[in-house]
Amino acid sequence: MSMQETTQKSALLKRNKKFALLAPGVIWMMLFLVVPLCMMIYVSFWTQTTFSISSDLTLKSWKTFFASETYFGALIRTIRLWLIVLFLTFIIGYPAALFIGQFVRNKTTQTVLLVACVIPFWTSFLIRVLAWRPMLGKEGAINIVLQKFGLIDAPIEVLLFTELSVVIGMVQIYVVFMVGPIAFMLARIDQSLIEAARDLGASSWTIFRKIIFPLSLPGVVVGAIFVSVMVLGEFATASALSGRKVNLLGNIIVTQVGSLKWAFAAVIGVVLTAVMAVVITLLLRVVDLRKEL
Amino acid sequence: MNQPALRILLAVYIAIFIAFLYGPFLVMGIISFQQGPEGGPQFPIIEWSTFWYKHVLGLAPPTRVAPLPIGEALTRSLTLAFATMVVATVLGTLTAQAFRTQFKGSGFVFYLVVLGMMVPGVLLGLGMSLVANQLGVQRTWWGTAFVLHVVYTFPFAFLVMLAIFNRFDQRVEEAAWALGVTPMRTFRKVTFPIIFPGVLSAMLFAFTLSYDEFPRTLFTGGPDVTMPIAIYGTFSVEIHPNLFAFGVLTTLFSFTLLTIYGVLMTASIRRSQAKASGIQEDIE
Repeated sequence: MSMQETTQKSALLKRNKKFALLAPGVIWMMLFLVVPLCMMIYVSFWTQTTFSISSDLTLKSWKTFFASETYFGALIRTIRLWLIVLFLTFIIGYPAALFIGQFVRNKTTQTVLLVACVIPFWTSFLIRVLAWRPMLGKEGAINIVLQKFGLIDAPIEVLLFTELSVVIGMVQIYVVFMVGPIAFMLARIDQSLIEAARDLGASSWTIFRKIIFPLSLPGVVVGAIFVSVMVLGEFATASALSGRKVNLLGNIIVTQVGSLKWAFAAVIGVVLTAVMAVVITLLLRVVDLRKEL
Repeated sequence: MNQPALRILLAVYIAIFIAFLYGPFLVMGIISFQQGPEGGPQFPIIEWSTFWYKHVLGLAPPTRVAPLPIGEALTRSLTLAFATMVVATVLGTLTAQAFRTQFKGSGFVFYLVVLGMMVPGVLLGLGMSLVANQLGVQRTWWGTAFVLHVVYTFPFAFLVMLAIFNRFDQRVEEAAWALGVTPMRTFRKVTFPIIFPGVLSAMLFAFTLSYDEFPRTLFTGGPDVTMPIAIYGTFSVEIHPNLFAFGVLTTLFSFTLLTIYGVLMTASIRRSQAKASGIQEDIE
């Protein structure tokens, strides 16, 4: 066997080995992720009648979606709620991450704080959402406390079964997904960089603006992706805390599937996918996820 | 950064922040001791009692409040989570192993896998049930729901393992091979102990996520419900404090799991440290 053949053979062997390692994962994702999503796009063009569905292609369901006040309104509402929650998780999460990542220099304390943030996740998501009800209700914990301190005379009623309660619930549930990645990036910043800046006479604000914030940006983007993906696909929080008054795209999908309107559910699914794709593409423009790992 | 005033301000802030995170948690704990069966899931507490805990465990006398389907649903959830954990961790480790060297199309594979955690559950559940309808496949928690649970958790396992392999010094393995150790033995004695903490974290991720998974299962789980679906079923009707009692119990259960994880992790780190210092002594 010549030298060349040997290297060729080992290269081939390497490729086969790589193929064997990759194949199971890739096949699984193709079959159970890509195929269902394609199927959803396909079914969105099917003909839906009240009691049945047939595979004759039509644009009818699409036209209904954009013509209907209810459904188009749900799209707008979903986007509005997503922007509000994203903004709030960032505003509320960043200072917490800043403290954990920059002000706590002790690794153990850092871990303890992060674990403390994650512990609530060990309670079932749905029960955590439901626990907001006795908290926000007319005779809920918040109103009781506020009244006891004499801060308000009559209970605040807008707290529960409104859009506000959905926002509060979502922010509380998803803010940690913002804190984690940001704190991670902040903790990685080389302290000598900050010392150097300080020695050169930079103010704290300048240091934050010019060094700390830009370096934490990948964390912000990762956090924003997490929050966006979860909020855009939400329906449980909305149905639990709004008393079914706030209908997001996710809620409509659930209702449509419940009444076996598959084509219609698929249309909304495709719309949601499109929104999500735009959001993630824009966010990934800011930072290359693969490089940051 | 070193600014005393700012530091104190932020420390106060984080205390409030954590209180915000634990608020519902605390409420859940308090309400779970509400008097039963008349007491509702709201303040004030009429009388402290453990009625709802008994109710959850099936020890309370029958009332108009339907008991939670603990036995069956919980068994299903745990079985599903366990199976998902095994498959997702294996897939994640294999794929991450392939990423240790450069290859063409790695970007495609990376984003394909990561897509699994990015696509919202509602969409995937919808797509999968459409596929099942088309193929005439029965939707079941151990079939259609299981494959989606893996699609969801495999990316997490993959990312964890990728991070571990990135910090893995390949020369250790090469040294073992050069010394004539068989690949199998190398994997057992060298590679596995190093990646073990990663594998454990990947397993923990997969188990927890699958155990609490809900939108995917809602559409694809079929008639036999898992625990989250059973809880979701109570949304439409009235909620009772038994849900909160159940929440407290499952949280305790989770803590037990977390503690086991912590103990295993510490033991693994300690062992590797002991080994490292042993090697150090040998050299000296």
